[in-house]
Amino acid sequence: MIVGIPKGLLYYKYYPFFTTFFQELGSELVISPDTNKDILDEGVKYCVDDACLPVKVFHGHVAYLKDKCDIILIPRFMQVRSREYICPKFCGLPEMIKNSIPKMPRIIDKPIYAISRRKLYPWAREIGRIITKDKKKIKNAFNTALIKQDKFKLGFNDDSQQLTVAIVGHPYNIFDNYVNMNIVEKLNRLGVGVVTEEVVEDSLIDEEVKRLYKRPFWTFARNSYGFASNVYRENKVNGIIYISSFACGIDSVVIELIKERIGNFPFMTLKIDEHTGEAGLDTRVEAFVDMLGRGVI
Amino acid sequence: MKITAPHLGNVYIAAKALFDGLGIEYIMPPLNNKEALEMGSLHSPEEICLPYKIMVGNYIQAIEKGADTVLLPGSCGPCRFGKYAEMQMNLFKRMGKNINFIVIDAPGDIGIKELYNRINQISRNSRKGKAGQIKALLRAVRVMNLIDEIEEKAHYLAGYEVNKGECKKLLNSCKRDAMNTNSPRDMIMVLEEYKNRLDNVKIDKGKNPIKIAIIGEIYTIIEPFSNLYIEDKLMDYGVATKRKLTPSWWVKDTLLKPTKLNSLKIKRNAKKYLSLGVGGHGRECIGEAVLAQKEGFNGAIQIFPLGCMPEIVSKAILPTISKEKDFPIMSLVVDEMTGEAGFVTRVEAFIDLLERRRKNVLSWS
Repeated sequence: MIVGIPKGLLYYKYYPFFTTFFQELGSELVISPDTNKDILDEGVKYCVDDACLPVKVFHGHVAYLKDKCDIILIPRFMQVRSREYICPKFCGLPEMIKNSIPKMPRIIDKPIYAISRRKLYPWAREIGRIITKDKKKIKNAFNTALIKQDKFKLGFNDDSQQLTVAIVGHPYNIFDNYVNMNIVEKLNRLGVGVVTEEVVEDSLIDEEVKRLYKRPFWTFARNSYGFASNVYRENKVNGIIYISSFACGIDSVVIELIKERIGNFPFMTLKIDEHTGEAGLDTRVEAFVDMLGRGVI
Repeated sequence: MKITAPHLGNVYIAAKALFDGLGIEYIMPPLNNKEALEMGSLHSPEEICLPYKIMVGNYIQAIEKGADTVLLPGSCGPCRFGKYAEMQMNLFKRMGKNINFIVIDAPGDIGIKELYNRINQISRNSRKGKAGQIKALLRAVRVMNLIDEIEEKAHYLAGYEVNKGECKKLLNSCKRDAMNTNSPRDMIMVLEEYKNRLDNVKIDKGKNPIKIAIIGEIYTIIEPFSNLYIEDKLMDYGVATKRKLTPSWWVKDTLLKPTKLNSLKIKRNAKKYLSLGVGGHGRECIGEAVLAQKEGFNGAIQIFPLGCMPEIVSKAILPTISKEKDFPIMSLVVDEMTGEAGFVTRVEAFIDLLERRRKNVLSWS
């Protein structure tokens, strides 16, 4: 059985788990290519127009895969930390895909509760059964996949340059280089190192979010806020860039909370959507770096 | 302490009953208006949803009249509404205004003790004893149920009435008279009277009006200002409308949620298309669309604010329902830029379409 894995949304964070799991089960894998113009166009064509860019891109990846595999993984991430959510669109992602893209092959849409090993295993058991009847094999695949995922280190931690900038935002905006137009490379070329939220330990993030009146109930909002607040307090970076997709409901809240927290600390929001022009983005990034370099603020 | 609360449809009538009954001083923000929206948009982040902006406008207008405490229900996600309170607190701090926020959250999130503390912040200002306070609360709930019932009846009967405009007139004078009463008891009497009068409105049972279900995001469908008074307009057109989501439905739903026995019928009907909750009222929207078709409605209108995350999921699913059940559904997105003329044109075109479909001049695919 050929399993299709779209390279969109949380693929960037959890691909070691998924690829290892299916490989160990002995199925063939097709992974869509890095996001490109064709994929984005397909996504925009199929997706409901009010959705945000990452969801549109994901639709594009699924459209690319739909004739190339027998079953497509559409991870319905419900939770990755207890009592927190990701985004309402993640909970309804399989439905959005099913109803927007015609002639879909079979899909894997069982909800994923990745808060503990025990909660996640039922997902693996059920999905494994589609591919193999061997229970032991499923268990082994699950364990190997988890080990791979644990070893996997994502993110940037480059403070060797003259200036350092923290890049904040959802992982699918930070690590999809087509969507963010190679922002990390651009910054490096300007002599700026980049750090991302993975460098700050979880316990430190917990400490930061305690400041909030209300417990943050979105995992990535919690990470973004905690990270921005931490690097600001410890003065680890010269400035913060928030990459946000247009009409992202969560970003509209988190950006406000971060701004409230950091006051006059250099901060720039880069809005991205399917119309973003690269020249405009370049100008803004350069201007921001210039400002940091001159120490205007 | 002068308490205020944001508007949500007819809840202000029940709020008046509650605070009058408790004997607590309160400031009612002026009914939603353009100025509130403009001021709200000015002080809100650009991409936040419409309800937030209108609410901020409400507070500002109430603060101008002397309010110093805001009462607001909360939630813990995944919809953005749960974060409103914190952002609004920050906003007023930044504006240099000392406003106390009382946020009523579910006990599962803040603990039962904290919830009790917060409720106590309100009730300790009441001159009434415990029994009197509970009585006031029950009366307010009664008022809310009555006004929701009256409104639902008026919206539905508008399609059948013999004297055009009678239902609308009754509904409007009902709200006015209810607000002019001085005690919750009088208010309930007024409402009961209007309920009877609505039952006796002359209707033509032989009429077969266009019937439309209003579905979508709860704030934008309940608060008439945010949807440019769509229900009033449909009443004028002689369309019978029905909306399942009402403040009294919300209270019942929220209280029953921990037992998972809330709105079973809606959940059952949504199951085929959306089996899990996606936050907000996305699942309800799907369930209602299916139910509306079963109940013989001619079409449904979905309304939601720009960028509303749960409703975007439902919007992606609705075309499938529409196709499979041969049931027209229109989605309308509202924000502070919505122009009335364009909005009305779309509603009128939708009604025209429903009318012509009946005559079999069009095939819907």
